[in-house]
Amino acid sequence: MTEPRPPDADSDFVPYDWSDPDSYRPPSSRPQPPDHGGHAFWERLPFPGVPWPRVLLIGIVCFGLWFLLDAPSLQHSAQTSPIGTRRTVSLDVVGPVAALSRAVGADNVVGWTDEAFGRSPGGGPALAVPIHRAKPKPLPPTTSGTTTPTTLPLLNYHPTPATPLRVLIVGDSVGLDLGQPLVNALGAFGDVTTYLDGRIDTGLTRPDYFNWPAELQVDLANQQPQLVVVMIGANDPQGIVTQDGSIRFGQPGWDEAYSARVSAFIAEANAAGAHVLWVGMPPMQDPGLDAELKHLNGLVQAQVAETKYGGAAYLSSVPALGDQHHYYTAYLPDSSGAVTNVRTPDGIHLTPAGGARLAAAVVAAMEGQLHIQLVPGIGGTSRRS
Amino acid sequence: MLFPTIDFAIFFAVVFTVQWLLVPYAGPWKAFMVVASYVFYAWWDWRFIFLLAASTGIAFVGGRFVHPATGTRRKVFLWTTLALLLGLLVWFKYFGFLAVNIDNVTHALGLGRPVPLLAITLPIGISFFTFMAISYVVDIYRGVLRPARGIDITVYLAFFPHLIAGPIVRGTELLPQIRAMRNPRDVHYVEAFWLIAAGLAKKVVLSSYLSAYVVDPVFADPHQHSALEVLFAIWGYAVQIYADFSGYTDIAIGLALLMGFRFPVNFRRPYTSIDLQDFWRRWHITLSFWLRDYLYIPLGGNRGSESRVSLNILITMLLGGLWHGASWTFVIWGAYHGVGQIIGRRRRAARVAKGLPAEPVGRARVAWARFVTFQVVCLGWLFFRADSLGTVFAMLGRLVVGWGSSPLVTPLAALAILAGIASQYLPDRWLSVVLRGFADRRPVVQGGILGLVLLAITTLGPQGVAPFIYYRF
Repeated sequence: MTEPRPPDADSDFVPYDWSDPDSYRPPSSRPQPPDHGGHAFWERLPFPGVPWPRVLLIGIVCFGLWFLLDAPSLQHSAQTSPIGTRRTVSLDVVGPVAALSRAVGADNVVGWTDEAFGRSPGGGPALAVPIHRAKPKPLPPTTSGTTTPTTLPLLNYHPTPATPLRVLIVGDSVGLDLGQPLVNALGAFGDVTTYLDGRIDTGLTRPDYFNWPAELQVDLANQQPQLVVVMIGANDPQGIVTQDGSIRFGQPGWDEAYSARVSAFIAEANAAGAHVLWVGMPPMQDPGLDAELKHLNGLVQAQVAETKYGGAAYLSSVPALGDQHHYYTAYLPDSSGAVTNVRTPDGIHLTPAGGARLAAAVVAAMEGQLHIQLVPGIGGTSRRS
Repeated sequence: MLFPTIDFAIFFAVVFTVQWLLVPYAGPWKAFMVVASYVFYAWWDWRFIFLLAASTGIAFVGGRFVHPATGTRRKVFLWTTLALLLGLLVWFKYFGFLAVNIDNVTHALGLGRPVPLLAITLPIGISFFTFMAISYVVDIYRGVLRPARGIDITVYLAFFPHLIAGPIVRGTELLPQIRAMRNPRDVHYVEAFWLIAAGLAKKVVLSSYLSAYVVDPVFADPHQHSALEVLFAIWGYAVQIYADFSGYTDIAIGLALLMGFRFPVNFRRPYTSIDLQDFWRRWHITLSFWLRDYLYIPLGGNRGSESRVSLNILITMLLGGLWHGASWTFVIWGAYHGVGQIIGRRRRAARVAKGLPAEPVGRARVAWARFVTFQVVCLGWLFFRADSLGTVFAMLGRLVVGWGSSPLVTPLAALAILAGIASQYLPDRWLSVVLRGFADRRPVVQGGILGLVLLAITTLGPQGVAPFIYYRF
């Protein structure tokens, strides 16, 4: 170890030799706890300080024990993380500890807790756990509620109190930004029932993290919608996990795998008698993400075009949220000409005003593209997962 | 990089060890801390380290010019430095807000659209380090602080524990600690681990639960929720914001303590306040005292007529509200607290004039004052949390006519809200006894206890501390 530097002429620095504990000399003006009108109780505790290596030992024991007990959960998190070096390294580090944890039964501590709280082992996207799920109510008979796809599309549908239009809205966090304003917008039409199922941090690339097809199946069974509005994709430009392994975004095979998932998602809704209106991702502030999502929008659009029986339609969000050149913009004038902020500071999500603007476009598409005859009135209901 | 993450745990383990090893060597220690803090900041967006460096440069040069100058020159240097620092803050934080409002006014008056509407990314922590830089220069102007060396002020403004969300530590508080030798044999770990554990529990468990299961669903769509749910959401938000913010700064104070630094306390049982003035002595203390010393007092403070003092309070709270975010709802929230403080001040003066005590006396009166103050604060939080005035009115409307079932009102939600409030009434001696029990154990046992506490937090928290996936959103 090199010799300690002499004290700065401009500071109160006091040299200290590690090897000699007695060499410590407190500075002439030892800093006192700042006083802002009083103290918290912990500032007056009488406990003496200890050498920092002891604190390091306590920290190592703390994290070591936690790591051992929680390793299976951490392993699950690592497995569901984006494909790449970080995931590989995480799995290499966590894997042996998780195995040890299982071998000695240490994982039971977390397992018992999960069981007590009724959660699936290994965690998962807990913030996507349904806030409350209303029990499905008996539904009135509908004109298009069969499971035969030939009854699609949902053209010229005229909702009535006896046969309300049932709309299911599914999406990721950007889809949620659209979802709530869309629920509000459709609430202005009397004979429309909406159900919003938005899940932050989700997409179609990683069913091992959140399984949208399975979720859709449950929603379709419970809600029996005639129309499913989908806005998913913001999280999807990443490695895709397939049965044969994983494919990094941009590599050969990725487009085909993703397109197959989009196609299957639409087919799943169609098979349950529901039409799909897929809302594309808006322009993004970050040029890289913008290009990636434009690519995804193209894949979705192609799959929608190939859908049989006209069971799906695509709505670009660019006209509603892009500038005059179809680029990203955070500000757009409303109908009165007043400028409003339509995007959040992250350059990705929508503000409530932006969501309302896109919701208006979705309602217009329902009337224009799908020819659903929406009649203003009150009495519609909405629920949210 | 946020505190409750695996990334930060690894980062801090390395920084903690290296910085204590380097303590005997002032220069290398400072250089290392600058690098560590800039890496911490760059983890979020590397481009904004230039902004942090620019603020540091402005404060450093400004301080050097202000210190020797006298008379008008001294004032000119001060105001130039403040203008540059505030200019950066306004550009990054308020430009969009100002541009939209100017645009709408000029458009309505038929003057066209003269202001370009740019999408500017808000750098994290800019409000905090700008206020710290301002305090540094003003303290030099006032003669209570000498200009610091370049490396010292760089460490002062970038020091990672306070960088993202405070507390706002002044140059007079932190610079002497940066210059001084810290004793590597005197680490106050009991207090530090208590702050970190309590902060994590508040932020990861309590705040996350209330946010996801009570507050967010109701604020997103008040029309679909009952009066009781709206009431729970408002109370829940009061607990959520306390748990989130105080939890984060508790962790910051604890981390600094582990590295031998003392930060000022930032929250002191705010929901035990007996009036709004008391509340601001307990809530985000470093901000309210900053506003007092660097805004309210320069405006005239308590000097002058009663109307002048009221105006000073109102201006201070309006700008304090705007500091929290570029939105009219924050301005209204600031005005609400300003008016509340003016009313409280006049009530106290009236009571004193009648020969009555200025503050409530007796358990029942104090309890009532605390209850009323909490409800008044909660009403203010409604403006703070709502994305628009429409949401505020919708929430208030549902409070009156929101009949129907209340599935969000669960025993667990009630328990979480109650726990958040009741924790502020826990006697100090109870906590001291618990910490004494911890302090008397061997290091390995202490580590084991903390490991189990950490496990409880990560298990009970909605996302644990391993946000590996989809980190971008």
